[in-house]
Amino acid sequence: MSTAFSLKEAKTNTLKPLHVNPLKLSQPMGATLAFLGIKNCMPLMHGAQGCASFTKVLFTRHFNDPIAIQTTAVNDISAVIDGGERGISEAIENITKKTTPDLVGLFTTGMTETKGDDIKGATLLLKEKQKIVYVHTPDFEGGLESGWSLSVQNIITQLVVPASKVKQEKALLVPNVNMSPIEVEKLKEAMEELGFDVFALPDLSDSLDGHLGVKQGSLSGGGILVRDIEALGDCGLVVTIGRSVRKCGELFLEKNAQTKHVHFDTLTGLEASDRFYAEILAYLGIQSVPNRVKRWRARLQDVLLDTHFVLGKSKVIIADEPDSAYAIAKALLEVGTSVKAFIAQRSEIQEEFTCEVCIGDFEEVEKSLPLSDMLISNFHGERLAHRYHKALLIRGFPNYEQVGVGLRNTILYEGSCTFLCEVNNLLVHHQASQ
Amino acid sequence: MVNTKLIKDLLNESACSHNKTKKSSCDKPKPGATSGGCAFEGAQISLFPYADAVHLVHGPDTCLGASWETRATLTSYQGENNTPLGYCTNVTTQDIIFGGDKKLASALAYIVEHKKPKAIFVYETCVTAMIGDNIDYTCKVASEQFGLPIVAVHAPGFVGSKNLGSRLAGEAVLDALIGTKEPETIHPYGINLIGDYNVTGDMWQYRPILERIGIHVVSTLSGDGRIEAIQQAHTAKLNVIVCAKSLVTLCRKMQERYGIPYVSVSFYGKRDTSNAIRSIVNAFGDADLSARAERIIAEEEAKLEERLAPYRLLLKGKKAILNTGGNKSWSIASALQDIGIEVVATSIQKATEEDIAIAKEYVPIVFKSPATEQPRLIDEHKVDILLAGGRSLYTAIKKRIAFVDVNQEKKVSYGAYGGLENLALDVCAALRNPVFKLVGTQAPWEAA
Repeated sequence: MSTAFSLKEAKTNTLKPLHVNPLKLSQPMGATLAFLGIKNCMPLMHGAQGCASFTKVLFTRHFNDPIAIQTTAVNDISAVIDGGERGISEAIENITKKTTPDLVGLFTTGMTETKGDDIKGATLLLKEKQKIVYVHTPDFEGGLESGWSLSVQNIITQLVVPASKVKQEKALLVPNVNMSPIEVEKLKEAMEELGFDVFALPDLSDSLDGHLGVKQGSLSGGGILVRDIEALGDCGLVVTIGRSVRKCGELFLEKNAQTKHVHFDTLTGLEASDRFYAEILAYLGIQSVPNRVKRWRARLQDVLLDTHFVLGKSKVIIADEPDSAYAIAKALLEVGTSVKAFIAQRSEIQEEFTCEVCIGDFEEVEKSLPLSDMLISNFHGERLAHRYHKALLIRGFPNYEQVGVGLRNTILYEGSCTFLCEVNNLLVHHQASQ
Repeated sequence: MVNTKLIKDLLNESACSHNKTKKSSCDKPKPGATSGGCAFEGAQISLFPYADAVHLVHGPDTCLGASWETRATLTSYQGENNTPLGYCTNVTTQDIIFGGDKKLASALAYIVEHKKPKAIFVYETCVTAMIGDNIDYTCKVASEQFGLPIVAVHAPGFVGSKNLGSRLAGEAVLDALIGTKEPETIHPYGINLIGDYNVTGDMWQYRPILERIGIHVVSTLSGDGRIEAIQQAHTAKLNVIVCAKSLVTLCRKMQERYGIPYVSVSFYGKRDTSNAIRSIVNAFGDADLSARAERIIAEEEAKLEERLAPYRLLLKGKKAILNTGGNKSWSIASALQDIGIEVVATSIQKATEEDIAIAKEYVPIVFKSPATEQPRLIDEHKVDILLAGGRSLYTAIKKRIAFVDVNQEKKVSYGAYGGLENLALDVCAALRNPVFKLVGTQAPWEAA
């Protein structure tokens, strides 16, 4: 544990002709998760059957829960002669034979975007049969975060009924794709404590939180109701968390110009948590918070001081989706940790990092690893951490190694405390075992 | 490019019995009612275990980004193990407009320079098939330039199911690799192991036993496989298909081309393992070899019985229901019977005609719709344990019986003699565990 990373190579982009051990996940996968946060929804991926199958397997193993998803199963013939509508209508017919979804989330893949299918047209033709939201999510552009965000944008545009009046205390939360189900729930509770009537879109807090349910897997088991989405127009406040979803808040204002939009890039760490309460209290025009919140802030102050001895002398590499990497980096920088971040896709948030950051794959991560103490990444980092004898904290998608990934909280005062303590303890434990 | 004639031929494989009845698992997938992987995944599963080759996926990120490092296919290769690594050309909008061949060529150059593999497999995907990249040409030029086999695998996802993809991968290996190298000596009892990917080390459970008998494994497709070995596969005397019907075409073609006969075996359970060894040995028609095999089978079975004895006491009189797919619908049933469990019923929802026929030989009741029949069968037969995929967990909880997830990625091998002990251990652990009854209890506020 010695000097900080050099900032010399900062913000360099790798121009390799390939990805070796990719960090990136695709747009359709982000879209899948977004639609799983709506109750009784069937995500329908428009592509070859493998796209949906890979996605289903990844999220099933990540969450340890059944994942609802279907595919239009484009084949070599329909890839050439069908403009999309035939496969899509056949899929809707087969889905509605067995289930009655409140919504079908229809989104594209690389192949169906390459052939240029008209999913808007197909949706209009099926309007009487099934409520559908359509989204363009080619996997040769963007990544997990943008796929999620584009889906939320289209859900807002296509479903929310415009309004001109607002209910001051009705709030909409738009989390980014990296937020765990329990983080969405904690955030809802924090808002409810202050008197809000809160909706989250999407709401994974009761669909992929790992509860034992009776009917498993045919449609999404929980989430925000479609009729609640349609009636969101009178929200007084819309809160977006993570740069990838900021645009969702801006779009919402087109539904109701009276709504106030408040955006946070992160909710992890003292500064971020303070900013959250400052903005929300200002909106409500009040000064006081519940005692519970005050106590947790004081605990976080103490944790910051307790952990700074170890974390202030450590070097950590983060490899994750941009919004998550930013949140983790910012929290660790608060206690003086030296941080270098690798992000999965290009993002506006890249400009906000105050440490070294680049777009990369695990081959690039591996080159930096010998000079660090700890790796924070998805489970693909495990092999590297073992080889170079580094401490490892598994975050992000996918995590096949651990259970309870949906129950991890790293936001606001309380979550920041557990996060910092976990990193600190892992580092100390790792050093002791060397 | 995609060879449509080949695909048609593969789907009408004469060695597949179901093609006589026309109700086949090779049909086109139905939109909105399909589960399971695509042809690309099938090809990947079949070839990724070659750890000394780099596997480059030519397409956008989804195909590889979500699928690398997911299967525990073990290898003894001493160099850098490429199986759990992910290589992808990451095709973007730019490449789709201007073509991805140049990017592919640079990626191949990068791999040769940095990784020095024994061969490179290049997997075509939906997008690169549609934009018409000339992958064959790029691979051919690069192969000549760099002096190593670079094999194009034409199994883009949209051509069909996982099974078809495995077949296409087999064809690629047959055309580009098999028969391209001659060995120094030809073993009289040389075999190829086809279709075992050494998941959790399954192959290692029985390969040493075969070798003790005097059988020599020339090559494998592809568990713990090597490129150099598969290049010499044409010099084997027998092809052994292990629990996989998808590669039967490859074996039929090798029979036509090189005169190598094939047998199909399963290494799940004691009886099937012993029978598998006998099928392989008897194919050589050598009395000494067969006698040695019988002696070693007897030894192994006796050792296994000794190890299984404590489990048999615990498992005596226990009844099970099995709900899984394909050949597992009978192979695991057979293994369960070998550890003394009565298998009351097995699901044939996702089994082929052949599998159903075999399943009926092992298990008295076969059922088609688990959702309705499973709970009824559990009650009627007082079943103790349900072995199924995660979706059936709730059924077990509701019925307050033990549950073993047999569809999830396994952590330990259930193969051959040694694996049977692992299966016995897992079943015993589940039966002993109080959690299934505890979880099913009512909440205090629900109590009547």
